[in-house]
Amino acid sequence: MNSNIARVAAGIAAVAVAVLLLVVLKDDGGDREAASTPTAITDSAPGTTTSPPAKAEIPTIVVEGGKPVGGVKDLSFEEGDRIRFEVESDVSDEIHVHGYDLMKDVEAGGSVTFDFPATIEGVFEAELEELEQPIAELTVNP
Amino acid sequence: MTSGFLLPVAHALASRQDLPIPAWLFAWGASIVLIVSFFALSVAWRTPRFERDRWRPLGARLSRVLLGRPAQLLCGAAGVFLLGVAIYAGLRGTEAPDRNFALTFIFVTCWLGFPLFSVLLGDVFRPFNPWRAIGRGVGGAFTAFAGQRPAHLAYPDALGRWPAAVGLLAFVWMEVVYGTSGGVAVGVLPETTATAALFYTAYTLAMMALFGVEKWCRTGEVFSVYFGMFSQLGVFATKDERLGRRMPLAAATHWATVPGSLAVVIASIATTSFDGAQEGAFKGAIEQTFDWLAGTGLSLTASLRLTDTIFLLLCFAGVAVIYLIGVKGMESVRGAPPFAKLRSGFAHTLIPIAFAYLVAHYFSLFVFQEQAQFTYLLSDPLGTATTDLFGTASGGIDFNVLTANAIWYVQVGALVIGHVVGLTLAHDRATAYWGDFRQAARSQYWMLAVMVSFTCFGLFLLSAGNS
Repeated sequence: MNSNIARVAAGIAAVAVAVLLLVVLKDDGGDREAASTPTAITDSAPGTTTSPPAKAEIPTIVVEGGKPVGGVKDLSFEEGDRIRFEVESDVSDEIHVHGYDLMKDVEAGGSVTFDFPATIEGVFEAELEELEQPIAELTVNP
Repeated sequence: MTSGFLLPVAHALASRQDLPIPAWLFAWGASIVLIVSFFALSVAWRTPRFERDRWRPLGARLSRVLLGRPAQLLCGAAGVFLLGVAIYAGLRGTEAPDRNFALTFIFVTCWLGFPLFSVLLGDVFRPFNPWRAIGRGVGGAFTAFAGQRPAHLAYPDALGRWPAAVGLLAFVWMEVVYGTSGGVAVGVLPETTATAALFYTAYTLAMMALFGVEKWCRTGEVFSVYFGMFSQLGVFATKDERLGRRMPLAAATHWATVPGSLAVVIASIATTSFDGAQEGAFKGAIEQTFDWLAGTGLSLTASLRLTDTIFLLLCFAGVAVIYLIGVKGMESVRGAPPFAKLRSGFAHTLIPIAFAYLVAHYFSLFVFQEQAQFTYLLSDPLGTATTDLFGTASGGIDFNVLTANAIWYVQVGALVIGHVVGLTLAHDRATAYWGDFRQAARSQYWMLAVMVSFTCFGLFLLSAGNS
């Protein structure tokens, strides 16, 4: 009887550990994937103004036909960084960064640059306001 | 052709979404769950402690004030008024989901607020329930004019709480499935919500006329049953028009005796799981199913809704299967009661899990949106920027009230506490069902496995693995 209980307990423990391992390992996979996607970790000091070499590093979201080329772009930052990205659009619309509640108009065929400090942690969406089309997802890690 | 189609991204209301729980915290959370679980097996008590709720009345004057006729009229009128404001704002207000009173009030303030306050303060929805208030008003007027009480059909007892379980799925279906149509992140529109509320009002009042107000509130009225379920965990309850205190958790042990109760609590866990997994764990599968359906010639909207509906139902089936495997396992332990008795007898042990899922998934949304609710949504309910009723229309949400770390700890803490409470209730029920303590403890290996699955899945849904 007692050995029976012990066997059942050991079985459950084994299953639980297996599940845990599976999930944790899968978790690591997710992390690697996230790390391999192009991220915008800005090394430059927060105070520097946009100089030509720095500008080349700014991630650009290209909007064609009212949709982001290559899907919604994932950009991640650390709290305290400056969030910089550029949007080139073939439609005129207003670009809205949720949470930070920033809006900028873009002309059809024009481009607009965002540059603001990452003060709020979380995941935020940038979208074309009129078309209600998300174009980027900004992740600000603590 | 369809693979370039972008699936909608997020809840319309959530301007700031939670960061996934980092791997280290996930590992800690899951480890604590396992350690707590095995500890629970060793220190267990041998006779049931929660089967009797030991209700004791509070002061008579307090009862008279809080439960008296003036308070009932006031609360009922407030409920009807607020439902009216929500419907009016939905129909006449702005289409912008975050600027319209209707969406935040219904889906955040009420839908997330009442479970919280029901656990803390008892069944607080009951006095404010607008449909109950209308139904009681109409019934009272009928009695006064006709000189007799309205006659009702006998409610089929076998149906139990099934109408509420179906209604719960339907409500969440409207919120997260129907609303995401069209391939843009609009969520459900205020106008759709208001129309649905009108339909639900007509349906509920008709059912109340058929079966009686209180009967329908106990069995079929989605919100009464759902919020009432959470109120079973708390210490405050009314009995015979008296306010009283009872042992925490104890009332829950008798909640699931009504048929269909199990379906209600499973629906609650399943809907939260679906909402958490649709953009993470299920995303790939959802996209594949969607592409396949769209490829068969269905319209994009229909394909998306059908896909999400399938996955919502799969969540329901998945949660049910895990629970039923646990019940089947318990049945195999010597001296076990029949399967049907076990199945409903342990249903209440899932209520704390359901509550933990709610807190973990929606806590931050609640904190953020309530700031909107009590600033600009209160002063400018239609979102037209023309009214400023209380001078708070220019207010906004301070997203910095919660750091990412604070959110993570609340999420993991809620799941771990829900897990412990679920185990406590399950163990207590087992000691009531099995005369032999050793067999009772053996039966609980199965419920332990069920609880560990739900809690670890809950943690996983919040983790980086799900994003």
